[in-house]
Amino acid sequence: MSTETPTVPAVQADERLAYRGPIQRLLTRPEIGGLIGAGSIWIFFWSVSDVFGTTAGINNYLDVATSLGIMAIAVALLMIGGEFDLSSGAMTGATGMLVVLLVKDTGELGGLGLPLTVAIPITFLFAMGVGWINGTLVEKTGLPSFIVTLGTFFVLRGAKLGFSKLFVDKVIVEGLDDAPDYDFWVNIFGAVWIRNDHLWDSFLGGRDLVFGVLAAIGATAIVVGFMELSLVRRTEAGSMPSVRSAFALLIGLVAGFGGLIYLTQTDGVADNWTGALVMAVGAILAIYGYSSWRFEPFSGSSGGVSMGGQNGRRALIGIGLIVVGTLLGVVMDSSNTDVLGLLLTVQGLRAILFGGCVIVGVLILLGAAQRSDTSPVNRFVLTALAGLSVAGVGFVIQAEAASRKYRAEFFAWMMAAAVLLVTIAIVRISFDQRRHADEPADRFGTLVSISGIVVFLMAIATKLLWATSIELVESRAIITYRISILYFFVFAGVATWILMRTKFGSWTFAVGGNKGASRQVGVPAARTKTQLFMVVSGASWLVGTLIAFRLNSVQANVGDGQEFFYIIAAVVGGNLLTGGYGSAAGAAIGALIMAMSFQGIPFAGWNSDWRFLFVGVILLLAVMVNNYVRGRAEKST
Amino acid sequence: MIKMRWVALLAALTLVVAACGGDDDTTDTPETTAAPDTTQGTQAPATTEAVTPTQSMDYTFHMVTHSDDGVFWSVVKRGAQDAADALGVEMVWSPSSNDPEKQVQDVQAAVASGSDGIGVSLANPEALGPEVEAAIAAGIPVITLNSGSNQFKELGAITHVGQTEVVAGNGAGERFNALGAGKVLCAQQEQGNIGLEERCQGLEETFNGEVVTQFVGLDSEPEAQINTIAAALQADADIDGVLGVGPNVAVRAVEAGNQAGRDLFIGGFDISGDLISAIDAGNVHFTVDQQQYLQGYLTVVFLFLNATNLNTVGGGLPVLTGPGFVTTDNVGEVAALVEAGTR
Repeated sequence: MSTETPTVPAVQADERLAYRGPIQRLLTRPEIGGLIGAGSIWIFFWSVSDVFGTTAGINNYLDVATSLGIMAIAVALLMIGGEFDLSSGAMTGATGMLVVLLVKDTGELGGLGLPLTVAIPITFLFAMGVGWINGTLVEKTGLPSFIVTLGTFFVLRGAKLGFSKLFVDKVIVEGLDDAPDYDFWVNIFGAVWIRNDHLWDSFLGGRDLVFGVLAAIGATAIVVGFMELSLVRRTEAGSMPSVRSAFALLIGLVAGFGGLIYLTQTDGVADNWTGALVMAVGAILAIYGYSSWRFEPFSGSSGGVSMGGQNGRRALIGIGLIVVGTLLGVVMDSSNTDVLGLLLTVQGLRAILFGGCVIVGVLILLGAAQRSDTSPVNRFVLTALAGLSVAGVGFVIQAEAASRKYRAEFFAWMMAAAVLLVTIAIVRISFDQRRHADEPADRFGTLVSISGIVVFLMAIATKLLWATSIELVESRAIITYRISILYFFVFAGVATWILMRTKFGSWTFAVGGNKGASRQVGVPAARTKTQLFMVVSGASWLVGTLIAFRLNSVQANVGDGQEFFYIIAAVVGGNLLTGGYGSAAGAAIGALIMAMSFQGIPFAGWNSDWRFLFVGVILLLAVMVNNYVRGRAEKST
Repeated sequence: MIKMRWVALLAALTLVVAACGGDDDTTDTPETTAAPDTTQGTQAPATTEAVTPTQSMDYTFHMVTHSDDGVFWSVVKRGAQDAADALGVEMVWSPSSNDPEKQVQDVQAAVASGSDGIGVSLANPEALGPEVEAAIAAGIPVITLNSGSNQFKELGAITHVGQTEVVAGNGAGERFNALGAGKVLCAQQEQGNIGLEERCQGLEETFNGEVVTQFVGLDSEPEAQINTIAAALQADADIDGVLGVGPNVAVRAVEAGNQAGRDLFIGGFDISGDLISAIDAGNVHFTVDQQQYLQGYLTVVFLFLNATNLNTVGGGLPVLTGPGFVTTDNVGEVAALVEAGTR
C-alpha cells in the first residue's frame, strides 16, 4: 500500500492547471483521429486486395500521396493561419509549365533556351512573387482570401493556356530533357531509387523475421513507456524486482519472443495455434512481472461485479453481436461468388456481416468498459472479454482462411490486439493509475515510448526497403521510390518542427486563432500571413517542378481543381477550416488517407464508377472519427 | 423611382416584342430585362473569343462545343479558324469545359445573336437536344460535330461531322486482336462521358479477349493516372493490353507498365506530341486518330455552303472523319503535322 497519497489540493484548482499527462496530451493532438482513420482504411484494403499491402502496392499510393501531401502540408499551415489559397492547384501546373517554357529553344517566340540552373531559380522567384501578391492583396484589401485567390486561380489558369498557345501553339509544352544542365537537375528532382536487387532472404533469418522481432520490440517499448506514463511508481525500496516478478518477467520474455519467432517461421494451423498461445501467455506474464516490480498495486475499492443496468445490457449486446457475426462467418459459404443484387457477392456479404458485427461488438464492449469508472472489476471483466473475443475470432478466421495472409499475418495481429486488451485489463485492475505529474517518470516514459515508435518505424522500413524473392515473383512489380517521397517526408518533418517549436509557428496559430488579439500582443500578423502564402506557392513550385521532371512535359490544365483535394486532405488530417488549430503531420496523414482511398479501388478490382461515392463515405467517416476522438479526449481531461 | 419605372417599362416592352417575334424559349432569360436595348451585347458569354459585331455582308458561325481547350480541341479550333479565314467569315468559338449547362447557355446566346449557323458537339444530348431543336426552329442551320452521331438526325441537324465512337472502338479491338492481346484494360480519363463509354463498348464488340473498363483519373492529375493504371495491372495479372481512350492516358500507361514490371500492348486515342514520340519509340503500338482538324474545318465549310448555296451535305448520314490509325509505319509523316498543330 502506498504510504503517501499524491498531494491533491483541497481547494478546487483552476481547471487550466489540472494535470494532463503525456497520454492525455497525445490524444488531444489533431492528427490522432487521422492516424486511426489511416490505420482502418489500410487494414480494410489490405484485407480485400492481395497487392495493397505489398511493397509495390504501398509504393503506389505513397507516390500518389506525395504531391497531394506536400501541398496539403503547406495548405494546412496556411489554414492554421486562417486563410485559404485556391490558386495552389493551378500554381503547380503554372510553375511546371514555366520551367519548361524557359528552357525551350524553338521558334522565334518559343522560349528563351535558358539552362535549368537559371530557369529553376527564376521559377522559384516567380512562385514566391505570386505568393507575395496573394498575401499582400489579402492584407491590403481586407477581402477574404477565398475571393482573392480565386481571382489568382483564374489568372493563372488563363495564363497557362494563353502563354502555352502563344509560345508553342499547343496546350502542352514538351521536351524538358533537351534542356542544358538536365543531367544535373534530374538527380535532384527526378531521381528514382530502384530496390528490386536489394533482396533479403536469409540474413538473420530473413526480412520477415527481422520485421516481426523489431515490431515486437517496438510494441513492447511503447507498452512499457505508456505504463510508465500512466501508473504510479513504487516508492519503498522498489528498485530491485522481487524473485517472483523477475521470474515472471524472464519466463514471459522467453516465451513471448519464442512464440513470435515460431509463428513467423511456420504456416500450419496447429503450429500457429501453439505459437500464438505461447506468445500471448508469455507477453502477459512479462508485462505483469515488470509491472509488479515497478508499480504500486491497486489501492482503491474494487466496486464489485454488477452486470445489471445499462452497462450490463451493453455488454450483452456486444457479446451477442460477436457471437452472431462469428456464426455467420462460419455458416455462410466463403467461396460463393454469386452476385446478390447491386454489387455484392455472397462472399462479400459474409465478409461485411462478419467483420461488421465483430468490430461493432468489440467496440460496444470497450465502450461499456470505459463507462464503468465506478467499478474497476466491471471494467476488468469487460475489457478482458473484449480481448478474449478478439482472440477467439482470430482463431475462427485462422481456421477458415484460405490464404496465408489471413492465416499467419492477420492472425498474428489479431493476437497482438487481444494480448494488448487483456494486458490493459490486468494492469488497470492490479496497479494504481497515476493522476499527478511525476517529472522523472514522465521523461523516462516519453523517452521509452518514442524509442518504441522509432523501432516500430524501423520495422516498417525493413519491409519497404528490402524485398524477398517470393514477393518479387508474386507481384512482378518494380519497386521504384521516387525522390519526391523523400521531399514529402522531409517537408512534413520540417513543417511540424516549425509549427511546434519556432516563433513563426506560434505566430501562425495566433493569427489564425484571433488576428486582432495576436496583433495587439505584438505578432506581425500581416507579415506572417504573407509568408504563409509564400510557403504555399513555394510548395506549388516544388510539386510543379517534380511533375515536370517526371512527365517531361506539362499540359495547361495540370493541377486545376486539385486545390480542393489539398484542403480536404488537410481537413481529414484534423485541421480546422476556421483556422487556429491543426497540424502539419495531420495533413500528411490526410493525404495518405486520400491516396489510399483512391488507389484502393483499382487494387481491389472494383468498378471505378463508385469511386467518388466510396471516397465521400471514407472522408465523412474520417472526419467524424476525428471529431469524436478529439471530443472524448478533451472531455476526459 | 422614375428610373425604376423606366427600366420596368423597357423590360415589359422587350418581353412583348420578343414574345411576338418568335416562339422559342430564350426570351424568358433574365438577361433580356437587364439591358433591353441590344440583344447583341448581353448575350455574348464571357468566354467567347473573337466577338465582333455582325456586319450585314459577313457571316458569323458559332462553334459551341464541350471543348476544354486541351490537346484535342485546340486542333478542332485551329481547323475551324483556318476554314473561317479561308472563307472570309467570322467564327465564334465557345468552349464549355464539359459543362452542359454552359453549353446550353452558349447555344441560346448564339441563337439570340442571330447566328448564321451553329456547329455544336452533343456531348450531352439530353441537355442540348431541346436547344438544338429551338435553334433549328428559329431558322438557324445546325451541324453537330465530334459527339452526336446517333442524335443529329432526329434533332434535325444537317449532318454530323465526326467519328462514330463505336466504330472507332471496333477498329481498336481489331488492332488488339492482330497484336495478340488476351485481356485489355480500357482506361478512361473522364467519368460519365458517352463518347468514352462507346469507345470501350466498341472495343468490347470486336476484341476476342476480355475487356475491363476503368476510370483512372483526370488528365489534370497525371501522377494519379500512372499509379491507378499500375494498381489495376498489379491487381490483375492477366491484363496484357491497355487502351487509353485519350492521348494522355495512353502515354501514362507506358509508365504504369514500367512501374508494374509488365510488357503491354498499348493503344491510344487521338494524338499528342508525347503520344507520337511514344509510338515512334515503340512503347505505344497504335493510336486511333479521328482527324479532328476536319471536324472544325468541314463544319465551318458545310455551314458556309448551306448559308450561301443552301447545300446540305451527307444525305442524312454522318460525315466520318475517322478512324484513321497512326502506327510505327506512318508516325514520321504525322509527327511533322502534329508539330504544326493541324493533326
